[in-house]
Amino acid sequence: MSERMLKFVDLAPKMPDKRPPQTRVKDFREVFEVFEVNRAAAQATRCSQCGIPFCQVHCPLHNNIPDWLKLTAEGRMEEAYELAAATNNMPEVCGRICPQDRLCEGNCVIERGFGTVTIGSIENYIVETAFANGWVRAPQPSIDRPETVGIVGAGPAGLAAAEQLRRKGYGVDVYDRYDRVGGLLIYGIPNFKLEKYTVERRAALLREGGVRFHLGVEIGRDVTLAELRDRHDAILIATGVYQARALTAPGTGLGNVFPAMTYLTASNRKGLGDSVPAFDDGRLNAAGKRVVVIGGGDTAMDCVRTAVRQGAASVKCLYRRDRVNMPGSMREVTHAEEEGVEFVWLSAPEALLGNGAVSAVRARRIRLGVPDGAGRQVPEAVPESSFTVDADLVVLALGFDPEDMSTMLGTSAIDLTHRGTIQANFTTLATSLDDVFAAGDIIRGASLVVWAIRDGREASESIHTYLRAQTAAGGRAEAGGVRS
Amino acid sequence: MSRGATGLETVARWRREAARLSSFGLYDPRTEHASCGVGFVATIDGVPRRSVVEAGIDALKAVWHRGAVDADGQTGDGAGIHVQIPQDFFKKHIARTGHEPTAGRLAVGMIFLPKTDLVALETCRGIVESEILRFGYSIYGWRQVPVDPSVVGEVANATRPEIEQVMIDNRRGVADADFERDLYVIRRRIERAVQEAHISEFYVCSLSCNSVIYKGMFLAEQLTAFYPDLLDERFVSNFAIFHQRYSTNTFPTWRLAQPFRMLAHNGEINTLSGNVNWMMSHEIRMASDAFGPHAEEIKPVISAGSSDSAALDAVFEMLVHAGRSAPLAKLVLIPESWSNQTAMPESHRALYSYCNCIMEPWDGPAAVAATDGRWVIAGMDRNGLRPLRYTITDDGMVFVGSEAGMVPLAEAHVLKKGRVGPGEIIGVDLRQGRFYHDREIKDELAAAHPYGEWVQNIKMGNDLPRPPGPDVDAGWSRETLRARQVAAGFTTEDVEMILQPMAANGSEAIGSMGDDTPLAVLTSRYRGLHHFFRQKFSQVTNPPIDSLREKRVMSLKTRLGNLGNVLDEDSSQTEIMLLESPVLTNSDYRSLRAWLGADAVEIDATFDRADGEAGLRLALNRVCAEAENAVRGGCAHLFVTDEHVAVERPAMPTILAIGGIHAHLVREGLRTYTSLNARSAECVDVHYFAVLIGMGASTVNAYLAEATIADRVRRRLFPGKNAEACVADYRAAVDRGLLKVISKMGISVISSYRGGRMFEAVGLSRALVGEFFPGMSSRISGIGLPGIQKRALAQHEMAFAEEITALPIGGLYRFRAGGETHGFDGPLIHLLQSAVGRDSYSIYKRYSKGLGELPPVHLRDLLDFEPKAPAVALEEVESITGIRRRFGSGSMSHGALSKEAHETLAIAMNRIGAASCSGEGGEDPERAKPRPNGDNANSRVKQIASGRFGVTAEYLNNCTEIEIKIAQGAKPGEGGQLPGFKVSAEIARLRYATEGVTLISPPPHHDIYSIEDLAQLIYDLKQINPSAQVCVKLVAEAGIGTIAAGVAKAKADVILISGHAGGTGASPQSSIKYAGVPWEMGLTEVHQVLTLNRLRHHVRLRVDGGIKCGRDVVMAALMGAEEYGVGTTSLVAMGCILVRQCHSNTCPVGICTQDAALREKFEGNPEKVVNLFSFIAEEVREVLASLGARSLQEVIGCTDLLMQVSRGSPELDDLDLNPLLVQADPGPHPPYCTVEGRNEVPETLDAQMIEDTREAFDSGEKMQLAYNVRNTERAIGTKLSSEIVQRFGMSGLQPGHITVRLRGSAGQSLGAFAVQGLRLEVFGEANDYVAKGLSGGTIIVRPMPSSPLKSNENVIVGNTVLYGAVSGALFVAGQGGERFAVRNSGAVAVVEGCGTNGCEYMTGGTVVVLGPVGDNFAAGMTGGMAFVYDTDGSFESHVNDEHVLWQRLDSDHWESACRGLIQDHVANAQSAFAAQLLVHWDIEATKFWQVCPLEMVHRLDYTLSSRATAATA
Repeated sequence: MSERMLKFVDLAPKMPDKRPPQTRVKDFREVFEVFEVNRAAAQATRCSQCGIPFCQVHCPLHNNIPDWLKLTAEGRMEEAYELAAATNNMPEVCGRICPQDRLCEGNCVIERGFGTVTIGSIENYIVETAFANGWVRAPQPSIDRPETVGIVGAGPAGLAAAEQLRRKGYGVDVYDRYDRVGGLLIYGIPNFKLEKYTVERRAALLREGGVRFHLGVEIGRDVTLAELRDRHDAILIATGVYQARALTAPGTGLGNVFPAMTYLTASNRKGLGDSVPAFDDGRLNAAGKRVVVIGGGDTAMDCVRTAVRQGAASVKCLYRRDRVNMPGSMREVTHAEEEGVEFVWLSAPEALLGNGAVSAVRARRIRLGVPDGAGRQVPEAVPESSFTVDADLVVLALGFDPEDMSTMLGTSAIDLTHRGTIQANFTTLATSLDDVFAAGDIIRGASLVVWAIRDGREASESIHTYLRAQTAAGGRAEAGGVRS
Repeated sequence: MSRGATGLETVARWRREAARLSSFGLYDPRTEHASCGVGFVATIDGVPRRSVVEAGIDALKAVWHRGAVDADGQTGDGAGIHVQIPQDFFKKHIARTGHEPTAGRLAVGMIFLPKTDLVALETCRGIVESEILRFGYSIYGWRQVPVDPSVVGEVANATRPEIEQVMIDNRRGVADADFERDLYVIRRRIERAVQEAHISEFYVCSLSCNSVIYKGMFLAEQLTAFYPDLLDERFVSNFAIFHQRYSTNTFPTWRLAQPFRMLAHNGEINTLSGNVNWMMSHEIRMASDAFGPHAEEIKPVISAGSSDSAALDAVFEMLVHAGRSAPLAKLVLIPESWSNQTAMPESHRALYSYCNCIMEPWDGPAAVAATDGRWVIAGMDRNGLRPLRYTITDDGMVFVGSEAGMVPLAEAHVLKKGRVGPGEIIGVDLRQGRFYHDREIKDELAAAHPYGEWVQNIKMGNDLPRPPGPDVDAGWSRETLRARQVAAGFTTEDVEMILQPMAANGSEAIGSMGDDTPLAVLTSRYRGLHHFFRQKFSQVTNPPIDSLREKRVMSLKTRLGNLGNVLDEDSSQTEIMLLESPVLTNSDYRSLRAWLGADAVEIDATFDRADGEAGLRLALNRVCAEAENAVRGGCAHLFVTDEHVAVERPAMPTILAIGGIHAHLVREGLRTYTSLNARSAECVDVHYFAVLIGMGASTVNAYLAEATIADRVRRRLFPGKNAEACVADYRAAVDRGLLKVISKMGISVISSYRGGRMFEAVGLSRALVGEFFPGMSSRISGIGLPGIQKRALAQHEMAFAEEITALPIGGLYRFRAGGETHGFDGPLIHLLQSAVGRDSYSIYKRYSKGLGELPPVHLRDLLDFEPKAPAVALEEVESITGIRRRFGSGSMSHGALSKEAHETLAIAMNRIGAASCSGEGGEDPERAKPRPNGDNANSRVKQIASGRFGVTAEYLNNCTEIEIKIAQGAKPGEGGQLPGFKVSAEIARLRYATEGVTLISPPPHHDIYSIEDLAQLIYDLKQINPSAQVCVKLVAEAGIGTIAAGVAKAKADVILISGHAGGTGASPQSSIKYAGVPWEMGLTEVHQVLTLNRLRHHVRLRVDGGIKCGRDVVMAALMGAEEYGVGTTSLVAMGCILVRQCHSNTCPVGICTQDAALREKFEGNPEKVVNLFSFIAEEVREVLASLGARSLQEVIGCTDLLMQVSRGSPELDDLDLNPLLVQADPGPHPPYCTVEGRNEVPETLDAQMIEDTREAFDSGEKMQLAYNVRNTERAIGTKLSSEIVQRFGMSGLQPGHITVRLRGSAGQSLGAFAVQGLRLEVFGEANDYVAKGLSGGTIIVRPMPSSPLKSNENVIVGNTVLYGAVSGALFVAGQGGERFAVRNSGAVAVVEGCGTNGCEYMTGGTVVVLGPVGDNFAAGMTGGMAFVYDTDGSFESHVNDEHVLWQRLDSDHWESACRGLIQDHVANAQSAFAAQLLVHWDIEATKFWQVCPLEMVHRLDYTLSSRATAATA
């Protein structure tokens, strides 16, 4: 059937229909429609079925992309879903929010001459088709094991691990300080990238499969790690990193200056129908305001585009490098520009100005110097180049650091890195405590959802191996016996 | 030092080294090959004449070029003659010694005795005498045979035995036939007794009252000088069988000379191992009235260590003594292909059908000359793979031989000139005094018994009733199916990529590029046991067969049941069941089981997990015991199945179960009592089927593969096809694949393949192989039962442990994360590309370091350097420039590669003085001219492959080396096909073909069916380019060493050893994966065997297949290679990213495609390639420095600088690379090539012709020359053509500028590559390969004016005429042999009849055949046109309809084209017969068929049917 493939020679790449900027800025719905049947299949035929699929090589989850593209091209959607689901617990999330242009699609072999296969949208199409047809099923373990695992954090890493462990038959308890399941997926990422029903759908399936969620429970506040270790045979810490990196400039204490997560969470909560006083009173609402977002990552993009949708008078993004050198996905930048965001490249904030509330940002021009060891050009300030940008609302999206883990975990027994993340074994994700594992941003620093999922899956394998070894040695099981 | 002493030393050294290398190294004496020239002379009236013996001797002298000479120039590979005993001569001798001979025939034994060990000599004499006396005969005495040792070479002399004759009196006065049979039994007793006395230097050449054999290790022309007996006028005979041998070693073993006792054989029995194994089984129940109480004494019929010819002779002899005539024995052993022959009489078919019931054919190239005392016959194998021509004269003599003209005869006395065609026999009944043609012999044999009635007993397996009820998989849920699939090791890849196309299209999956995954033994991942078996294939010493285009000779017919006594001759032997194929569908399987009922016993091939570590071992013991008990209990059919697999009962690998049972039953002598049927879950692809059948299975049922297909049918994955159709297609694909696998070995009949174990194990424990697959070679040991059980269990657990959402993804064929390791790794490819793009050696070093960190992929990855000397400074090591000269860029054709990529490689390689190779498919002559910027895009090496595309005299002159591609690493033993869509206008121009029309490359070179043929091709090439060196490209497999020795003796200058990892533009996946072995094994074997045979210093060794870095290069050097090919990696340097879609014409980087849009994406340039080779060379320098070496030359063959640093996974029994590291003693010669220039070949008539045409060259005048010729003058006109093309180009001279008239019998390759301007006119006859590669010349072959022969009834040219001809004309006033105009791409020719496979693979030109054609005419013909004159209406049963249509002449244009050629024929060849046709043209024209390729019909300038009356044919 492979003659059906390799059509990149004749067929141009095409994304699903993108809603026009004028309409899409009026709501928080996703930018792309889901592919229609024929077009997804047709686009899938463009795959070259490579001997070395660089798309897969560069996918953190090593998704079997060429294989499910082929199945899609052949109209075998259920198998395509099975294959996609075999390596990924939330393919519909990755299909929507992965920076494919830096991962699979960016490494697509035909990308250079012919334009990449539209992998992400096809992945999305596969999963939406599967949901529509009821092929997506809750975990149905064939055996129920006596051991239980406690997972701290209901973000992507925690959820992936929860599903994998549950499939193997373990009892799984997930603890999260928020009132909803999903972590960053629910409160960090705006609807126009990831509509919340996708996350809620997953959460429901996990519940159905027997995963127990304990929401509003914060480790270090409501429960201690020691208690959890006592309760469960193994622990996975997947709390993510939430500490916003601060701007070291005068004026950050002014009113109407917010960290990105505060701003985004408010907007997402509103979208979910919650009452958010700080939004309702206008402080966190960009409507009619001149908004300045500082930073150049994906979070910054989320902020500027949220501001546009809230009806800001103007939205500017200040970033110290240029377009080529920004860490955010190029695709997101393009979307933002289409939606009217103004990028002020090569500019670093010097101070936030204002009386009480912020009124402007003073910044300096930057030029890019010699590349450093990692190959990135080092920004240097251009002397005497200050300028100001008026602002009614400033959002700081400069990145995230871990919270104080030793306090949170109430123990110094877990080794941390100098950056404050948890020190975990590179391959097993085990921490310095035998029965405690860690996954996601809390070990790697702020990173992509897809990496979190991968960590969650790997941690679940390690936990499985660990628990099997324990059982074989009679360790925990017997200890349990003694304890009762 | 005296001659003898050196000889003795050499012999002692050889014996010592051979013994050491065969025990510890890679040399295996069983792989020796021999081939040759053969024939006989006989009187039709049976009256002995002196002239017969003289003619035999003369004939032998005229085939010297078919033999080979050792380095000393005197030691031949052997020659001999078999004649009647001149009773007179011996009786006079007896009388002189004082005895009075009795009246009856005395018998003479010609015996080789130990020469130096006098005690042994006496023991032997005593044994001979006492056995003769014990039988009641008496002895006249011994006669020391006079010999002249001065005429043999020193080495041969050193091994020369004491040669004596024992003369025996028929004192019992029994009839001659009984006397003869008694002598046979006596000889077998003697042989046994001598063997029991542990004397090896004893051999009975002949012991007979009819005939005596004189043979030895000398050159053919020395026969009479060595044995002056033969010059005695009293030596008269009514027949003389003669033989000249060419062997693949240099060690003179006297007993290997031929003729053997009854038969002389030219060719090679490909199925030897199977035949020998089956013979051991047949022997058990062999009983015959003829031998009476002595039946046991003749066993084993085949002595251990016999060559193929000797084994064939032994069985032939046994059949004859048991009462079958020589013609019938030939028919039983080497039958004609009959099952697909439509033109065969029913009675013959019944006879063959009967023969098929009694014995497996001995398959392979075979021209035999044999006698049973009454008959002298000559016979041919079913494919007609050897030449055999005969002449009958008016004085009652018959001459048969490998070449025409071996005995010069006056044409005026010739009555008939013919040839022995495929499967044919001709012979003389000396008693009756009559010559028999093929048809006459077979009519007589077929009438001897009611075979037609007997074969009615055969039950046809395909007619069995279908029992009611569901198939095995009915009711399996998707989950159950999935669990079984996982347990059996299925992956998504297997199902989607391998199984799907088989069931959808009936064909195997195609892939491209090489296999870069680890050998099964090196990976830690689960691999089915079949991965450890590598298919063997033919190269050089015998040809692979084209199972697609020549399927008429192929057969999968499978006998089931209890096989009878091979010596009986009655209807009981036909009580068997016959299946069309060994592949059983689930429904066939059920029918068969139901039909056989209680005759069959089922054996469960699962084991019990509870039995722990010994589980598999215990189960295998049980399985063998159950099989034995069942057979002893009378069961005639065993069914071995793993369908009862369950959580606690994992399946054992079916291959182990079948191999174990087969070996056990053979050992117990029970194998022929039963059929052995396998039902296997693991079995999916063709390779698994082949392994099972090769290990002894009668039938195979792949039930899980079929269940998988059924499941996919239910899921509607085969649009428009139901399950039956899909299963039928799957089975068709397997059938086709099996034919491909056996045809690779040159085998056409599966029954001869069954149990032959034609595989080489790579990575199976020696002990395991010894027990389950005895006789199969396994040279490095590897995994044993414990490891197999461990991995099988792990796989089994995966299936039943947890919820499975999808099958494992695979990753064996294409890289998948988490799947198998691939040597070409994504990130490393990017590193390399960035290194060559930025000219950064430091990035290259990161790449090279990364390679070293991959898990082991190749055998060399288990080795490391072991310096024996202090390191030297880098500056002292030879320069990059020097090292780079040893590199090549592989042999990739323009056709596989885009023009841009191909030229870039050539330019880069030329810049650094290294070699690029044209590949198969021609090269634009424009590239031979340097470009304005100084770049040279000409490939220094030009390849000549089986398709001969674009191989012209000019092409062969635009190079310094010619590479003969015998095989290709990715698909050894197979041909290829360039689909029409890849044949662009440009490709078509270079290949002399038509745009858009498919081009087929045959599996064999049709002028290399045997080692002496290769020698001939090398000779031809050295004539057409008088300065170029010749390279022969082989693929590594067990036995390649002896082949290489033969190749070296054929005067090759370079031998290229390709590893299994070599790339391809398109091959079946199972070929890429499972054929050939790593070059490490091939190279070291070749190096050892060449060194052993003192041939190493005559040739350079080159190696390729997956070489990626400097480390690989130095490893190769240490293992014995002087030059190194880097193919795929040089593509990577130009931008290749291993997309592996070369076969799809969609290469996204423009390297491997002809699509103009894609070619624009090409981003390679010569600089990148130069950088790659410079980096590799620099790395080589670093390694050399660390080894303390200053040049590559000084480390060649120094395996002591290597050491095994890993013995593989702990699960293995052992992994022992020491056989690779054994060094052969090079004696006085260095272990590398010392030849300056090339190995020269003797001159032919052309030397004289060039001398005589010098004026014509200088003055430009027309010339006519005339000479007498003999068959020893070969390739006439070829070197002259080289002169012409170099001075005037391909078309610089007008046709006929130089006319050469030749009288007599021209040798092989007459007019090979002859160019325009040369006209050769032969009055007489010519041999094989006339007009090979004809490049514009004109050749005429016609009888002498004095000849009384009717031209259209006699054969005057040999086989494979016009092979690869490009342009020019050939007119033959007579018939041609097999494969006339094969692969012709542009020449016009007229011939008056031809043998089988005429116009095969033709792509251009026009051929007129004015007489009958043989079978399979126009097979694979995709271009050109043929006209055939058909008077008896036989044409339509002979034509192969797959590629052509045929119709009566129906257009003025085409009729006049045909007639015009016949007019030319008359004008040139003066054929009276053709002139007659023209006279009656209006009548004769209606008897012509016009044959046109289907693909050409719509591309013709003139339509086929233009007349108003035209009706559709």
